[in-house]
Amino acid sequence: MFDMSWMKRWQDAVNANGPMNWIGKHFTADFLLGFGDKNFVVSFNKGKLVNVTDQIGPETCYQLAIRGPAESWKKFVQKVPPPMYNDLWAMAHPLHGRVTMEGDQKVLWQNMRAFFWALDRMREV
Amino acid sequence: MANIEPITGRYVWVPYEGTEYRIYFEEAGQGIPLVCLHTAGTDGREWRHQLCDPKINKNFRVIALDLPRHGKSIPPYDWYKEAEEYKLTSTFYAGIVMAFCKALGLEKTVIMGSSMGGNICLHLAERYENDLLALIPVEACEWSPGWHLDWLSHAHIHGGEVCATSVFGLMAPQSPDKYRWETWWYYSQGGPGIFKGDLYFYSFNHDFRGKTQKLSGKVPMYYMTGVYDFACTPEMTEEAARNTKNAECIIMEEIGHFPMSENPEVFNRYLYPVLDKILALK
Repeated sequence: MFDMSWMKRWQDAVNANGPMNWIGKHFTADFLLGFGDKNFVVSFNKGKLVNVTDQIGPETCYQLAIRGPAESWKKFVQKVPPPMYNDLWAMAHPLHGRVTMEGDQKVLWQNMRAFFWALDRMREV
Repeated sequence: MANIEPITGRYVWVPYEGTEYRIYFEEAGQGIPLVCLHTAGTDGREWRHQLCDPKINKNFRVIALDLPRHGKSIPPYDWYKEAEEYKLTSTFYAGIVMAFCKALGLEKTVIMGSSMGGNICLHLAERYENDLLALIPVEACEWSPGWHLDWLSHAHIHGGEVCATSVFGLMAPQSPDKYRWETWWYYSQGGPGIFKGDLYFYSFNHDFRGKTQKLSGKVPMYYMTGVYDFACTPEMTEEAARNTKNAECIIMEEIGHFPMSENPEVFNRYLYPVLDKILALK
């Protein structure tokens, strides 16, 4: 789980999803997703997940880094996630801190609907 | 034959602190007044399933109001000239609810509220214990930090979408999609800055730590919290209930922060025994 093969399957699920076509119409952003020690930069363009890479170097740009233990993400992606792990904001809320978010927080809140919808597609992988 | 629900909606003018507030409310049933308080940033539509449930409205006059600035209750006429952004306070919240009860002539009322409507129950117990028969604080705790965020009222961010999406994860995955997305819909329709302003009460103005133990216990309180509530966790409610005299604590499985609207069948099953106990108080 959480290797390039898994991420590609998530990418396919996002890009095949019907509502993403209109929910994500204005969603263009680059995020780093950290699952334990595995990091990926995911690039959305108008709601399409156009690129996923684990080749992160000095020229790789992203607006927001969302990192958490792999164990937290494994709970998040379950078909029926347990309490406190069913939503990114649930995991990131200051009361809980199961994931951290660093960078341009505004981009997340501007695109919360589309991005959260895309994350939910992880449960289809 | 038309499938018409038993709910009727009306407006009442409520005088409070020198201002007249035009408040919309819906009601159904007869019996003990059961006033239902909606969550932050939304309105009384959240209670439609309890209003319509014959097991509830046969013994209770169920009333769900929209607070001023919410739903169909307009703001005070000079709202656009206010020098500061809207911030709900416990004094106004408790006061306007009791002024509403007085305007309708309600006596020995039961008040059931969720989230901020649950937290205000502690203030109601503190200030108005002689006017109340019982309180049902749903998803309530002594202190609920971390929600009064500028992102919820920001010119660069779609207020409706972000208010609704930020609370969606508070609902349990087991709750039916149709009801979860109905709740999302309600949240997408609040006035600008109202959700954030309500959360000023929820996360700053409401802080009952060290005060709960001082409540007299004259009014029985039935705390009810869902296990998927990450804003007010079961542990947070249990702490409040432990510190409250004459209180019970009911933790609800497979449900979250909006039990009345996200999964009314499950919530009502937990609610019936509470209402039976309240009936026995009369």
